[in-house]
Amino acid sequence: MKSPRIQSPACLLLIALLAAQPALASDKDPAVWLQRMGAAVQSTNYEGTVLRIRGGKVEALKVAHTVSDGVIREKVVAQDGNGLEIIRNGNEVHCILPDRKTVLVEEWDDQSTLFSTLPSSDIRFGAEYDVGYVREDRVAGRKTMMIAIRPHDDYRYGHRIWLDIETGFPLQTQLIAGDGTAIEQVKFAEITLNAEIHASALAPSYVTDSFQWFDRPTRHESRSVETNWVSDSLPKGFQAVSLHEEQMPGNDEFVTHILYSDGLANVSVFIADTVAESVQGPSRVAGSNSFSVVSDGHSITAVGEVPAVTVEQIARSMRLR
Amino acid sequence: MNDAIRMQISAFVDGELPDNEADLLLRRMGQDAELRQKVAEYLAIGRIMRGETSVPGVDRVHERVSAVLDDKPFESPDDVQPETRRPAIRPLLGIAVAASVALLAIFGLQQMTVDTGDTATTPVVADADSATTYTVPQPVNNQLREYYRSHGAMTNENGANGINTRLVTLRLEEEVLEGSSVIEKDADEQTEEPVTTQQP
Repeated sequence: MKSPRIQSPACLLLIALLAAQPALASDKDPAVWLQRMGAAVQSTNYEGTVLRIRGGKVEALKVAHTVSDGVIREKVVAQDGNGLEIIRNGNEVHCILPDRKTVLVEEWDDQSTLFSTLPSSDIRFGAEYDVGYVREDRVAGRKTMMIAIRPHDDYRYGHRIWLDIETGFPLQTQLIAGDGTAIEQVKFAEITLNAEIHASALAPSYVTDSFQWFDRPTRHESRSVETNWVSDSLPKGFQAVSLHEEQMPGNDEFVTHILYSDGLANVSVFIADTVAESVQGPSRVAGSNSFSVVSDGHSITAVGEVPAVTVEQIARSMRLR
Repeated sequence: MNDAIRMQISAFVDGELPDNEADLLLRRMGQDAELRQKVAEYLAIGRIMRGETSVPGVDRVHERVSAVLDDKPFESPDDVQPETRRPAIRPLLGIAVAASVALLAIFGLQQMTVDTGDTATTPVVADADSATTYTVPQPVNNQLREYYRSHGAMTNENGANGINTRLVTLRLEEEVLEGSSVIEKDADEQTEEPVTTQQP
């Protein structure tokens, strides 16, 4: 098992300082509340039941989460269906599928630190969104402040977040489509914050020694590159923030990968030299959309957690300069 | 399930249930699968009422439930108070994404359980809720699957983490189960680094 990542002292100090900020229900500045949320997410222990509502389906999950010395331990158990469990210990995550007697092993080495959620480029984030206080509300029996992040156009999704007034912890989130409807929402039905959580609450419910264990495929090989590919019609606010070439598993050829971001939403564009067996048109996996076209003898695919119209426009806008 | 509960669910999906009653209902939903299913049905009816889905018999459904449901959106975008809006400054949205991080495992797990019938190896059907009229594409191939995976990894590294990134990654993880490498693990190796071998 790999060693879990330890947060830097400076990071922990910042978290402590932010978490120590007074919680005043009268303070409706969303900036203050979002700062508190960022700190609370990093430092809060919690245990409870989460409901996810998406596509007319409602499902329940039991979740326990602790963080100690920057090491996250977590257990999530589906209350419906096949009883899936996710056990996280530091960076290593085991997804247990009891009905298939299977364990998926994955490494999450890129999240749940405050800095990992901060934009790292020089883009002037926020120009395409409004952030505002909406109202006080109640979630899971606790008083919350509702914050809305609203995009200025239909090229990106909006968000609503209900933050616990006492701790700043997000108790409910919604992903909002352009017409104001909630594409997806996750909310705690019940929650205990910052109480002692016994180690047994974080342990697997199954003896998995006899299960089949599957490792995540090896990481894609990548290298820096320059490219002549540019977009001549990016939706407003999007800028290229990353460029490299990478080799996909099972394929010797390198694919150019450009990442565009508006600071909140991200779209990847993949440009492959060959078009054999390439798909064209749209596809959708969960809340993410993709769109593929062929241009100048290359296969171009845009992928992102944005509306379908966004990936289509970006994919069609790619040109060789 | 009695009429009182049904009325309570109806009010809940309309956002009209008083806070204290909504809290009680949510707690019950956490324990009661039948109740969750009933709420899901009401949510589906709500979408039909809003014209988001066109299905045979929608008029009859409309008549049956018109007494308890109205046509307003799930939650009106107008509920943001204009006087309190303010432009975001650079760090805010980035920190805002932390809310997603807190619930990341939940998204991922749910995706594996919810959409198992809509795998990326089966023909992809254009989203019925979208207003687009795309041609239904060919089945998502390995190349596109790797693109989704790579996008998720890159957005995480870039710091601007998207809500759906992990969700998609885990969703695809289950899909490619059969093609993955296998970790042979026995009781004696529990505390050791797993040994990766290729599947036959």
